[in-house]
Amino acid sequence: MPAADPADAVFNALADGTRRDLFALLGRRGEASATDLARELPVTRQAVQKHLGLLADAGLVAARRAGREVLYHPTPGPMSEALEWMAEVGHQWDDRLAALDRQLARGRTSA
Amino acid sequence: MNKAVERELLVPESPEEVWRSLAEPAWLGEDASIELEPAGEVEAGERSGFVEEADEPRRLVFWWSAPDEDASRVELDLEETDEGTLVRVTESRPLEILTLRGRELALELDLAGGQGPVASAAAGGAALVIG
Repeated sequence: MPAADPADAVFNALADGTRRDLFALLGRRGEASATDLARELPVTRQAVQKHLGLLADAGLVAARRAGREVLYHPTPGPMSEALEWMAEVGHQWDDRLAALDRQLARGRTSA
Repeated sequence: MNKAVERELLVPESPEEVWRSLAEPAWLGEDASIELEPAGEVEAGERSGFVEEADEPRRLVFWWSAPDEDASRVELDLEETDEGTLVRVTESRPLEILTLRGRELALELDLAGGQGPVASAAAGGAALVIG
């Protein structure tokens, strides 16, 4: 069911961590199939497909057919630059905080 | 538009231990460095910037940017909890008109009244680009 407010749909679509990662990844890749994307994320191709569907409902991604493949790309729009930045920066901080946690964890075993 | 991203991490260590770990900059990336003091330099990959505030062991605020990119402001708050420390990071772009130019940057930040920083270029190759 599509949300009444387009902004709600956008924020609902990006409320989920996996979809944010997926959107950030798609932003970096430019264009990719669900199979390509699933290879780089810890989820199944079916799950990626479902998440892409929700992102598409929110107008954040669009698909085109290329032979036997369906390729997805982020949709340019007034909000997408800001959203892409948020997805990308959020993804970077997930990585940095995970690195900080690993750094701290090195001291945990000897404690 | 004030874009902001917020993330949290809960660790069992004390804020003091987390603060010490922040000074080992590997968590910011390979070959990164950060001086945990006001006006200290921040280098991480192609990004560079400076420390705005360093309130050991509670709060670290710095600005950084990559070449040809708007500067963003990073706030790291370390909150002591029963289980350890909650690390909260907020990265925002409150001043999209501001472009940092590497390490030559010198800014005087006027934080009076809790408003956003009012930046004024100081001597020494500072770059404040309004456009």
